[in-house]
Amino acid sequence: MKNLLFSIIFTCFFFQENFSFGQEYLTKEGKLVFLSKASLSEFTGESKQLNGLVDLENNLLDFYVDLNTIQTGIGLRDRHMRENYLETKKYPFAEFTGKMRSVPDLQEGQKMEVNAIGLFKIHGVEKEIEVKGYLTKIKADQIQLEANFSVLLSDYKIDIPKVMFYELAEEQEVTISAILPKK
Amino acid sequence: MKKSLFVALLFFFSSQISHAQLVRTLVNESQEVDLTFHAPRHINLLTVEPLDKKTLHFAIMHTFGTLDGGFRNLYGLDNGAVIQFSFEYAFSDKFSLGASRQSRDKIYNLYGRYHLLKQTQDNKIPISLSFMGGAGINTSDYSFLAESNPNFAERSSFAFQMMAARKFSDKISIQISPMMAYFVDPNPIFLIEGDQNLYLALGLSGKYKITGKSSLTLQWIPNLNNDLRNNLGLGIDLEAGGHVFQMYFVTSQMLNEQYLLAGGNGVPGEQFRLGFNVNRVFATGRKKQSN
Repeated sequence: MKNLLFSIIFTCFFFQENFSFGQEYLTKEGKLVFLSKASLSEFTGESKQLNGLVDLENNLLDFYVDLNTIQTGIGLRDRHMRENYLETKKYPFAEFTGKMRSVPDLQEGQKMEVNAIGLFKIHGVEKEIEVKGYLTKIKADQIQLEANFSVLLSDYKIDIPKVMFYELAEEQEVTISAILPKK
Repeated sequence: MKKSLFVALLFFFSSQISHAQLVRTLVNESQEVDLTFHAPRHINLLTVEPLDKKTLHFAIMHTFGTLDGGFRNLYGLDNGAVIQFSFEYAFSDKFSLGASRQSRDKIYNLYGRYHLLKQTQDNKIPISLSFMGGAGINTSDYSFLAESNPNFAERSSFAFQMMAARKFSDKISIQISPMMAYFVDPNPIFLIEGDQNLYLALGLSGKYKITGKSSLTLQWIPNLNNDLRNNLGLGIDLEAGGHVFQMYFVTSQMLNEQYLLAGGNGVPGEQFRLGFNVNRVFATGRKKQSN
């Protein structure tokens, strides 16, 4: 039993160690903005707590945001968004997990276009999406990621309020930008 | 053998895990619950629902005549409404001050609400707790009473209540509000039924959400220190166009907090009155985005 425990701990340690040799970039402070552009009213929501992982070695992209951190500037609208539309108590996160079609060879100071493909999940519904974005190696141990994509609310079974003082667009433009230091 | 197999498996899995996704964690486990009630008002009672800093809440409330007038009186709508306007402004997320005016006895009220506790989603704080205090003045013209025209002090009345509420689930919220009202001089000329100075009652408010934007509402306010009839109200809350519409049947025609306890109630059923509140929140100045 002791041996087993030891092996487990050893295993964990070993891999923890192994981790840092990779090409992993991590952040917890990415920025996410969505723009709702309806015919009569336009507003944005923003979170500066986007979590992201870009693993160039294993070609893995993983992003998520706690939807409770998104603010639109009007408290009541935020509460309605959480309670009635996104249902954040049940589905607290928006997530994207995927990979790049091809991993770019990043040179410092050069902006590279990347195409990511993966699963986007919000409101309990998962859908495969393709996103065009840009990766820039801004420093030896830091990359910057910028991407935008649109989300059709009906694809994710998010109701659009019919009578509301703010009109909500069916198509939401989502922009993410993050600086990810090397892990 | 088994052991080593297990270790090998573990190896395998942990190597998978090491390039797998980030662990999803909430930024704030103790996040406050949202929308225990639809609005700062719920039928006749104030709720624990706070206003955001620098927002103004406006409510216009009405009650009509009793239903027993039948169709001839359009179920009380012909009798003219008792109306109360109220404005409440939030100086912080916890404290707001309000002013209201009820048409019956032309009473002006000044009141404050303070939110001490807010229920959190992880139940570290299981209830929301708020306090309300108010003072009012009856401004009716009693000059025909020549001698006994009540003075300012005699026209004043006070209200105090504590609101303790819990959102039990997405659908059900319940609030218990011990309330008191004090009339300096419960003059029989006032449109109240009671003749005591002090009125104690226990308000109970319930919300049952039926769709994302509508709820059934219930209110029962048993009196604790007098023989006046208890207040009963049943209704529906609808969120639409940024307004919260509250339609209900209630036994009291009064809308002011003090008068609600002293004003008397009809018999539930035929003496129900149709009531109607419109709530609206105005944001003054856009809040800055923060982290």
